[in-house]
This record gives sequence, structure tokens and C-alpha cells, in this order.
Amino acid sequence: MKLSERDRAMLDGAEGPAAQEAMEALVQLGNAYDAADMVDIGYAHVHAGMALYKGDVELIERIAGQGARMAVPVSTNIANADMGDWQGTGAPEALGLLQKRAEAAHRTMGSGTAFTCTPYWAGHWPTWNMHIASIESGVTVFANSVLGARSNRDGFFATYAGITGRYPRFGLHLDENRRPTHRVTVTARPQGTADFTALGYAIGAKLANGVPLIMGLTRRPSLDELDALGVGMATSGGVAMFVVPGVTPPYAADHDDPGLPGVTVAEADVQGVFDDFCTGSESGFDLVHLGCPHASYEEVRHYAALFAGRRVAEGLEVWLTTNRVVRQMAREAGLLAPLLAAGVRVVSDTCPISCHFACTCSPDPALGVEPPSLRTILTDSAKQAHYIRDMIQCPTLFTTSERVVDSAVTGRFVPRARPNE
Amino acid sequence: MSEAWQVRPVVRGRAEGAALVSARPLSFLGDLDIRSGRVVGRSSDLYGEVVTGRVLVLPETRGSAGAWRFLYQLKVHGTHPAALILRDMPDPSVTQGAFLAEVPVVTASEPGFWQSVGPGQWLSLDAEAGVVRRD
Repeated sequence: MKLSERDRAMLDGAEGPAAQEAMEALVQLGNAYDAADMVDIGYAHVHAGMALYKGDVELIERIAGQGARMAVPVSTNIANADMGDWQGTGAPEALGLLQKRAEAAHRTMGSGTAFTCTPYWAGHWPTWNMHIASIESGVTVFANSVLGARSNRDGFFATYAGITGRYPRFGLHLDENRRPTHRVTVTARPQGTADFTALGYAIGAKLANGVPLIMGLTRRPSLDELDALGVGMATSGGVAMFVVPGVTPPYAADHDDPGLPGVTVAEADVQGVFDDFCTGSESGFDLVHLGCPHASYEEVRHYAALFAGRRVAEGLEVWLTTNRVVRQMAREAGLLAPLLAAGVRVVSDTCPISCHFACTCSPDPALGVEPPSLRTILTDSAKQAHYIRDMIQCPTLFTTSERVVDSAVTGRFVPRARPNE
Repeated sequence: MSEAWQVRPVVRGRAEGAALVSARPLSFLGDLDIRSGRVVGRSSDLYGEVVTGRVLVLPETRGSAGAWRFLYQLKVHGTHPAALILRDMPDPSVTQGAFLAEVPVVTASEPGFWQSVGPGQWLSLDAEAGVVRRD
């Protein structure tokens, strides 16, 4: 792999041990994928350091302690506790305090500490042709498909990219891999974010990998719907980029490629995703979750309108998860008041599948983490439902946002309307 | 008689162990219990098996970009596989986890390998030279 003078200097330790370790790792990665050289990145979305995983916060502290400083703007991914109010979610004190140690280490390194799976709603908005690194597959697919930035589905090495400002040129950093591989005809008529997570989930399940060219949408989806579409695909498959003509840079509205292998996604496929994630009891749900991925300001506004003047049913816990930036804007706009008055808990930094509810983690026993016993979780996101099944290992119910709110208020599950209703 | 196949090194190193062979993609996040190394994902044909110390032979990996964290956590808990042999190049997240966990990874393209590899066979993998041997 061809390295720049600065890359070589970093390898020789000229920018300290953290940059040296980071560059060594990135060179290994580049060699594994036959990268010709490295690119300058403009932004990185990095691992939070998760308090529920043994040694994981210490991993971040070690790098910060070696003198690592971020060379580009950096945001932090979702964490294992709401660092402003872990008590409110029932997390043990020791877990909250351990998680806050990661926050301190990130601040030392100069990272923006949004602790969110939707850093774009917190203002991290990379633009067309900017190379970036991202640990969160939802960020990767939004950046590639909506913003026109270039990102692979990275793991911890996003941190190394942030420290060096460099990344090997392979995968979706190359033009040749950003062309559609399949032509997906959507005959379903999705409305709202829950539908779009299900549509994305159905597409990801059919394709597994590749870049779908999405045809047949009768209108331009909203930003929230595009976000939902991407996270759905990234959950059921390894899809890291989609192309909607007229939306995805640089594909014009009349772009088409009839020669690609064809796939059709019909209403029955979308409804099938809802049906498959309705495994729980229709009157036995005890936790209601909204905000997967972390809600945008527009979504919080929508939820606030849906809950205004209503009250969550007795015995139900309702979480709306978002990031700190959106929560602050919502507070100042008077949108938190109707939610809190209705009995909704507005949580930042984490979500049900990322917090101490998950039983696939391995926390230090000294933290005293005991996942609560949950009967059924009701959600408006196919991504959340998928990981509730796999990580909390609890039955789910899945319907549209409006009907999740109706269900939360009445205590009775209201399924998604079938098209003939 | 031992046999050998040329493979492409992805994460360098050397390892050996009894093969654990799957015909289906595996997700490190969701399909594996990090404390025991046991396959808990019901969509996997390895359900109930333990990956610890085995040479894990898979067509491909699938699923979350959180894969790296689970592969690395297997190492933290000493429950990691000895090595990975894949047919297709893994997601960068899997590769990054294998680097952190120091688990050698290769991709094998020779059809002969996939036709004859079976569970329990002793495989030695040299991901420096790019060779897999079966005793």
C-alpha cells in the first residue's frame, strides 16, 4: 500500500504512541483488503466504550491515556446508560459511573460526546464525497445513501481513523463499489418511519448484501423515512448503501438500470415483517419503546403531538430515546412537557437493547447488573424489534408510531392497519 | 495423508484446531454467547456448539457492524475461536474485531476445500504463507 510521508511518520511514532498504534492497525486493514493507498477522512463516528462489556471502557481510557487526540470532528456512538439519569432507567449506580468514565476519556480526546446512533440529528452532517469512518451501520448507510459521503461498516477502527484522520481506500470509498447491484421494485406504499424500517428490513433480508437501486416509490421519502429505510436494511442484511434516484448523490431522478437482477418488495413483504415481530401478548406488554434509531427533532415533535393531553396506561413504562442535542432542543421548544405529563420517559445516550436490559453482555459482576424480567416490548422499529429478540431475548410487538401511542394509552395492542382496512 | 490448500490471508497469524463447519452465514452479534463461546442463534446450523479453540469454517458472516465487539469480547473472555476460514471477504467490522482479538482469518476460494472439509477434522492454518493443511 502506498503511504504518505505523514502516514510513515505516524508509523515511526512521530505523533506519539496512540497515532502509531492507530496507523499500524489501519495499514493492516488496508493490506487485508488490497487498498492502494489511504484517504483523508473528514469525520469519524466512534465506539462509546460500553460499560456492560468487560474491559471496554478501559479500552477507551487506555487510548486517551496514551495521548490520543482526534484529528477530525468525531462523534460518539450509543452507550450503555443515560449518563444524565441512569437512576431513571433502573441502572445500577456503579454502571452509570463506569459509563461516565468513557465520557471523560472521549472529552480528553476532543470528541463530541453525543452518545447516539443518529449523530446526524445532533449536527454531524458529512457531505458529498467526504470520506468518513463509522462504527454504526445506520450512520454508514445514511451517510452513503442520503448524504453522499463515503463510509464502510467499520468497527473499532473508526477510532483509529479519527486519531490519524486517515483510512485505507477500499470498499465504499471506491466509486466502483457505489453502483447499484440489484434493482428493487417497491410496490408497497409505506407511510411513516415504522413502515420504512419494515421496508428496509424486507429489502435487506432479500438481498443480504449489495447496493439496491430502489424504484417504485411514489414520492420522495422524508429524511426520517430515509433514515428508517437504511437502518432496516442494515439490520436484516449487510447493506451499507442504497440508491434512490433523485435522492442519493449523484444519481439523478431519471436514473435506471433495467439490466440488474430484479427483486420486488410488495405490501405483503412489509406486512410480513410486522407479523414476524408480533410474538408477544397483545395485552401483556410492559415496556413501550419509541425512538429507534434515536429520534430526530421532527420525530420528537410528532410523538409529543400524539401524546398531548393523553396519559400512559397504568403499569406501563414508555421510553422515547433520542440524543442529548435533540432532547435539549425539544425541552427549549416546550415539547418535553406534554411527553412527561403523559408519563413518557425521555432517555438519551442509550436505548432498551443497548442498556442493562440486554442479556448478551458480560458486565463485571461487581457492577451488580441484573436484567429486569420483561414480558413483552412494544416498538415502532423493525431494528429495535430484531435486537430485542436477539439481545433482550424477550417477545415483541411491532406497529406504526401512531398505533404504538394508541396502544400505550389504552394498554391494548393496536396492530398496523392492513391496506384493505 | 495430509492435504493443503492455498488461501488468502486477511488477518495474519498461525493457528490450528478441530474444524467447526457451517453451511450458513453467522452473525457474531446475536448468534454467540460471549461468556461461553456457545452458538445461541437458532438460524445457525451450529446451534449449541462451542466455538472456543475451533477453526470456524463459514461461507460468510452477516449482521450488525457490532460484530467486531463480540469477536473481541470472545477474546477478552478466552472463548474465541482459534481461527476463521471464510469463503467470502468479511465485513470490515469482523476483520477489525479479528485484528483486535488476534484471531487469524483467511478466505478460501478453492472448491476442493469446501467439498472435502468436514467437522472435527484437524486444520492448521498459516495465515502468513496463505496455506491451510488438513492432517
